[in-house]
Amino acid sequence: MVTAGSTPLWRYAAGRLVQAVPLLLGVIVVNFLLISLAPGDPVATLLGEYPAPPEYVAQLRREFGLDQPAPVRLALYAWNVARGELGFSFAYRLPVATLVAGRLGNTLLLMVTALSLAALVGVGLGVTAARRRGSGLDTAATGISLAGYSIPDFWLSQLLVLLFAVFLGWLPAQGIRSVREEYSGLAAALDSARHLILPAAALSFRYMALISRLTRASMLEAMSQDFILAARARGLPERLVLLQHGLRNAALPVVTVIGYNFAFVLAGSALVETVFGWPGVGRLLYDAMLQRDTPVLLGVLLMVSATVVVVNLLTDLLYAALDPRVRY
Amino acid sequence: MRTRMMAAFLVTLLATGIAAATPTEPRRGGSAVVAIGSDPETLNLGITTGYAVGAVAASIFSGLVWIDARGEIQPGLATSWTISPDGLSYAFELRRGVRWHDGRAFSAQDVKFTMEQVTGLYHGRFRPAFQNFEAITVTSPQSLKITLKRPYAPLMRLLSVFDCPILPRHVYQGEDITRHSRNNDPVGTGPFKFREWVRGDRLVLERNDAYWDPVYLDRLIFRIIPGAALRVTALEVGEVDQVADFYLPKTDVDRLKRNPNVRLRLGQPIPSMGFMFINARRAPLDNPKVRRALAMAINRVQIVTQAMGNLARPARGPFGDGFKWAFSPESDYDRLYPYNVERANALLDEAGLPRGAGGERPVRLRMVYDAARAPIAAAAAIIRDNLRAVGITVDLQPMDRAVMIERIYTRPDYELTVQTFTSGGDPAIGYHRIYASAASGVPFVNATGHSNQEVDSLLNRAAEVPDRAARGKIYAQVSQILAAEMPTLMLFDEIGVDATRATLRGVWIGAEARDRWDAVWVQK
Repeated sequence: MVTAGSTPLWRYAAGRLVQAVPLLLGVIVVNFLLISLAPGDPVATLLGEYPAPPEYVAQLRREFGLDQPAPVRLALYAWNVARGELGFSFAYRLPVATLVAGRLGNTLLLMVTALSLAALVGVGLGVTAARRRGSGLDTAATGISLAGYSIPDFWLSQLLVLLFAVFLGWLPAQGIRSVREEYSGLAAALDSARHLILPAAALSFRYMALISRLTRASMLEAMSQDFILAARARGLPERLVLLQHGLRNAALPVVTVIGYNFAFVLAGSALVETVFGWPGVGRLLYDAMLQRDTPVLLGVLLMVSATVVVVNLLTDLLYAALDPRVRY
Repeated sequence: MRTRMMAAFLVTLLATGIAAATPTEPRRGGSAVVAIGSDPETLNLGITTGYAVGAVAASIFSGLVWIDARGEIQPGLATSWTISPDGLSYAFELRRGVRWHDGRAFSAQDVKFTMEQVTGLYHGRFRPAFQNFEAITVTSPQSLKITLKRPYAPLMRLLSVFDCPILPRHVYQGEDITRHSRNNDPVGTGPFKFREWVRGDRLVLERNDAYWDPVYLDRLIFRIIPGAALRVTALEVGEVDQVADFYLPKTDVDRLKRNPNVRLRLGQPIPSMGFMFINARRAPLDNPKVRRALAMAINRVQIVTQAMGNLARPARGPFGDGFKWAFSPESDYDRLYPYNVERANALLDEAGLPRGAGGERPVRLRMVYDAARAPIAAAAAIIRDNLRAVGITVDLQPMDRAVMIERIYTRPDYELTVQTFTSGGDPAIGYHRIYASAASGVPFVNATGHSNQEVDSLLNRAAEVPDRAARGKIYAQVSQILAAEMPTLMLFDEIGVDATRATLRGVWIGAEARDRWDAVWVQK
């Protein structure tokens, strides 16, 4: 069991979560004010391209609470959040929690796949490049990293669609599953997996590049340490030295990158989800912005903030597991 | 020569073979996938004019009539109708044996309920017509009569499913119509029944076997694809079968024309126009002479070729040329306002706006437009360049739609804007709002601040006269005033493009690509 110095781990974690409460309250207030101050009437964007009956417009404004002053709306919203209610979407006329819950699984599937892909390929590339420093392979890995870091997600997404869906016809261009055919069981899972490949690849490329660069640098540093020399002197096989001693020590920065980039991956997923028509939280956020769907915007932003808090905490806890020197 | 003859023979043989192998009779089975850009906000078509709602719900509900591809009115839930000579009374005979998707019988009471409690109160296009209703009398379970206070020429067109979809009284009566749970799981009389809605992904309808005409497709699926480019890609690779004009980026049309797996319908059964509102509340645009100068300084042909990719015609008058009977040669823009920089300059000089030392006039205008619409952005840029040539500076202000609506309509704070409006099948339904001054301050109506009582009263008369020739004369009169005062410069008549996979047959028998999916079938 991992303990954290003199403080039990659970107390440390609970303390961090309690600290998050004012942070999340701040997130609610700032987001609410920013969205409320932004121009654009949600009701006008909802009612088609013909003048809507004024009584109906007034009725919707009442239903949405838009006839109340902003401070009253903010107080009501905060009170509802405290009671676990995220409000009612203007555009979908459904509870925000239902909408987010329906999309969250899709986004997590995309993010976890993309990050796993990035970690696997990135660490592999980084370790290989570090082992063969200065070789052609090292130069190639550096080149791939540079490209990965420079190419914007949305552009890469479109290139992938053109190549793999249009020209080669190997993979579907959009969506999360086929709609013409009705699959079940394993066939459905395989169908979803085919749909997942391109968006996950597009989303992972940048992080793969980042992880590979970091792994290479950390590995080079770790492999020059005395304990590596000692391990080799003990006659350990090179593979064990590399993976058990080198990589374990080099893993800390990689875990940091994955943990602290979680919010950026989520932001990146909004673009990738829109390009690929992937029905996730990122796209929900994008649509909500265009439609001025304030409850959905606030709900998703709050959920993202809470997720970032939790993931950062988990990252810190994972530190302790990976590095016995780390104490809380 | 011999080779050429042989080749010709082979081609003929091949063509004959294809023709022989191609079944021409509709066949039952299969599904069609239609791309839409966003989730509909509801599936109750009676409370909104939203395009995505109509795309889906038009196959779930039915109207009393439908509009065919030639723009003619055809029987729907109403099998026949009689209009009194004074245009004040409409008697309808309704289709017998029609059942709602839940098995209950349809009757004239459903029609009366829908008009009085739903579309007459909430539908943006039907409500103005309903306000002119004197009474709706149910004369038998299968017949009813509508009497009007004043005649209203386009009434029959407003009885289609897009403007007055008939809703089930037994589901909605006494309930909150706009927040009813069945708005997301509707019961209609249309050719398809609601089956499933996965938000952000798809909407699935299935065949209604009790529909009065044959329905061929097993399922009609709407795929929600927010990216315009991706919608076209999905069509090209066969993941979707149809992208309607509203969702089709015009820049891709040339490429689609070369794709043998895709068929296009070019044309505009329901005319629509692009135009420039000129905010007459602000000097110097309050001066008609300046507005006329703008009309001559702006190159409409350039906008059509460069911004619209030739999928439009340069506008020729205040109501365009989409309705031939409403077009007036006396107010033809080609004659009154040809592109002429010299004359535009002279008019601006006359209006007391001389060029300064740098060649610029003391006029700076903000052009506000919806940033998401590429052709509109291109048109705005052309207008900026055109006006620069006559010494007027234009600042382009692209913004997102919600903000644009506020800046143009709700709190007008702009000088110029490019907008597009659809006519809804009649100038009185969709174009009068460009010029009438009654509803100023409301989204999607006259935003110029220009008001002319004679124009308002002529437009009212044009809506009341049933005879087209007589209506044409009124439009000629009002067009002359509008062409002279130039509150709004019409830029182009749009040419719509609907695209479908070649395997889909029986498409587009309606004026709207969204209509009559019962007739569509899949060719294997």
